[in-house]
Amino acid sequence: MDKGTDHLIVTESLAKDYFDGGAPVPAVRGIDLTIEAGEFTAIVGPSGSGKTTFLNLISGLDAPTGGKVWLKDKLLSGLSGNELSDFRRDHIGFIFQAYNLIPVLNVRENIEYIMLLQGVPEKERRERVGEILKEIGMAGFERRFPPKISGGQQQRVAIARAMVSRPELILADEPTANLDSGIGAELLDMMRDLNRRTGMTFLFSTHDPMVMDRADRVVTLHDGRVAKDDRRART
Amino acid sequence: MFLLRMAFRNIFRQKRRTIITGSSIVGGFALAVIFIGWADGSYNGIIDQFTRTRLGHIQIHERAYLDRPSLYRTVDDPAAVGAVLDGMGEVESWAPRVYAAGLAGFGDKSAGARIVGIDPRRESRTTRFDRTIVEGRALGGPEAREAVLGRGLAEILGADLGDEIVLLSQGADGSIAEDLFTLVGVASSGDDMTDRTTCYLPLATAQEYFVLGDKVHEIAIVVTRLSRVRDLSEDIAAELADPDLSVAPWQVFAKSFYDAMQADKAGMWVILVVVVIIVAVGVLNTVLMAVLERRREYGLLKAIGTRAGRIVRLVVLEVLILSAAAMVLGAGIGLGVNAVLAGHGISLGSEFTYGGMVFDTMRSEINLRSFAIPAVTVFVAAVLVSLFPALKASRTEPAQTMRMH
Ligand SMILES: Nc1ncnc2c1ncn2[C@@H]1O[C@H](COP(=O)(O)OP(=O)(O)OP(=O)(O)O)[C@@H](O)[C@H]1O
Ligand SMILES: [Mg+2]
Repeated sequence: MDKGTDHLIVTESLAKDYFDGGAPVPAVRGIDLTIEAGEFTAIVGPSGSGKTTFLNLISGLDAPTGGKVWLKDKLLSGLSGNELSDFRRDHIGFIFQAYNLIPVLNVRENIEYIMLLQGVPEKERRERVGEILKEIGMAGFERRFPPKISGGQQQRVAIARAMVSRPELILADEPTANLDSGIGAELLDMMRDLNRRTGMTFLFSTHDPMVMDRADRVVTLHDGRVAKDDRRART
Repeated sequence: MFLLRMAFRNIFRQKRRTIITGSSIVGGFALAVIFIGWADGSYNGIIDQFTRTRLGHIQIHERAYLDRPSLYRTVDDPAAVGAVLDGMGEVESWAPRVYAAGLAGFGDKSAGARIVGIDPRRESRTTRFDRTIVEGRALGGPEAREAVLGRGLAEILGADLGDEIVLLSQGADGSIAEDLFTLVGVASSGDDMTDRTTCYLPLATAQEYFVLGDKVHEIAIVVTRLSRVRDLSEDIAAELADPDLSVAPWQVFAKSFYDAMQADKAGMWVILVVVVIIVAVGVLNTVLMAVLERRREYGLLKAIGTRAGRIVRLVVLEVLILSAAAMVLGAGIGLGVNAVLAGHGISLGSEFTYGGMVFDTMRSEINLRSFAIPAVTVFVAAVLVSLFPALKASRTEPAQTMRMH
C-alpha cells in the first residue's frame, strides 16, 4: 500500500516495543510525523527517549511493532529483505556515531562502496570520489585506511560515503557525539552547507545544543512521543 | 573483484588466526595426500605382486572358460594371439597355460591334482615361476617328461626329487591318459592351497598328454603399468577381434581378490573423515570467532544496503582463498613426503605376508587421485563449515550491532 503524497517521510502511529525478558519495553509510542524533502531536522530528547529507535524505524533497520512508515511513498513494511537492502542502498545515506567505516577498505574504497553495489562505472566512481573528497576537505587521503586517520576525519569520510551516491535522505544518529565540539561544529556546518547546495534531506539525532542551533526544525522526543516540534526560519 | 579484495585483506588482517586456520588445513590436506599415496602404493604393491607372480594382469580364455572351465574350452591358436601381444608395446610378456584335473600317484599314495602345463621359459619371464622353486630345478625343455610338484602335494605323496610320479587323467579325445614323469623340482608359491594340489608339466608334454594339439586354456599377460590394465584389456580384445575369446583384466578374473582389495581401500574414507574433522574444527572455530568480532562491520555493511547474500559470499570467499593457499602448501609437503616414500619405501623391519605373499618394503605412489580426493574433500568441508558462520554474519541485525558503543 503506497501513499501518493509529496512528503519524503510519513510516519503514522509509529510504535516500537522491545521485549526484555518477556516484558514489553515501549521505546516509541505512536509518532505521527512528516518530513519534507530538503529539510535539515534534528531529533532531540533525553537519553532513552527513543531517538535511535525512531531513526532505525524510518530506515527499516528495525521493524515497528505498530504503525507505519512511508519513505518516498514506499511502505517499508511491504518490502522484502533484499528489497529493503536495495532501498536503503539507493535512497538513504547513513552516518552513525562511530564505527562508520570498513577498516580493510581505504578512504576511497569506503566512499566507493555503495556505488560499487549500484554498479556505477569505474570512471564515474573515481570522479565522484574525487569531487566529494575535495568538498569535505580530504583530498589526498584516498589511500589512507580508517585506523590511520582521526575521528573527525573518519566522520567526514562517513559523510562523504553517505552522500556520494546522492540519496534523498541522510540519517545521522548522533554524528558529532564522539568528537570535540570544535570539530563537531565544523562538521555540522559542512553538512548544512551540503544540505543547502544539494537539497538532500538531513535527519539527525543529537544531544548537542550546538547541533540544535543549526537545525531548521527541532523535534523533541520524550518517552517515545513527540513533545515538541519547532520550525525555524532558515538562517 | 572488490569482494575478493576485501576477502584478501581480511585474511591478512588477523595473521595469527590465519596461521592457525591455515595450518590446520595444510596439515589435514598433507596428511590425506600422504595417506592416500601410501595406501595406494601399498595396495598396488600387493596387487602387482599377486597378479604378477601368479595370475598375470590380464588373461585370455575361450569365451565361456572363466564361468565354466573345461578341458574343451580352448584358445585354439595361441601362436596367433602371441603374435598380436608381441606387437603391443605395453605388454611386458605373456605365457600360455594348459589346465586339467587328474590323479597323481607315487608308490601306494595318490591325491587329486590340478595339472598345469606351462612354458617354462615364458612362465619364468612372466610370473617369475622359477623363483618359486624351493627344491631341485625348474622344468626343462617343453617336451621333457618332467614334473614339478607343489610342496604340499610332494609331501602328501612322499615323493622326492628323481622319483617317478604317475599321473592319471583323461585326454580331450576321451582316451585314458596315464604316464610317468620324473620329479625334478618342488615349488612353493606361498599359497598352501595351491601348493597342495598343483602339478606342473612342460607345456608341450601336457598338450600331448591331454591330446590338445597346439591348443591352450589360458594366456596370462603381464603389462608394464598396473593402472593401464583395464584399458589395455579392451585394446587387446579389439586387436584380436575374435568373438570366441575373452580378454579379462585381473579385476574380473580374480574378482574375490579385487573385492578384498576394495574393502581394504575403504580405509581411505576413515582418513578423509579425520581430515574433514580437522578442517571443520580449525575453520569453524576461527571463522566463527572472526565473524563474532566483526559483527559491527557486518552490521554496518547491511545497514548501508549490502544484501545478506553478499556477506555470505564474502565470508565463504575468505575461507576459500585461505583453503586454496593452504592446499598449495599442503600439496607441496605431501608431494615431498610421498616422493621420499615412493623412492625409498619404508622397510617394515620384519616381513609380513598377505595372501601368501611376502613383503618387506612398502612404497608410496604418487598419483593424481591422492591430491584430487583430499582437495575436493577439503574444499567441500571448508565451504560447508564456513557456511554456518557466513549465515550468522549475514543475519547480523544492524539496529542492534550499531548500538554497541
Ligand atoms: N534492544 C533493546 N532491548 C530492550 N530495550 C531497548 C533496546 N534498545 C533500546 N531499548 C530501550 O528503548 C528505549 C529507547 O532507546 P533509544 O536508544 O531509542 O533512546 P535514545 O533516545 O536513542 O537514547 P540515547 O540518547 O541514549 O541514545 C530505552 O529505554 C532503551 O533502554
Ligand atoms: Mg541513541
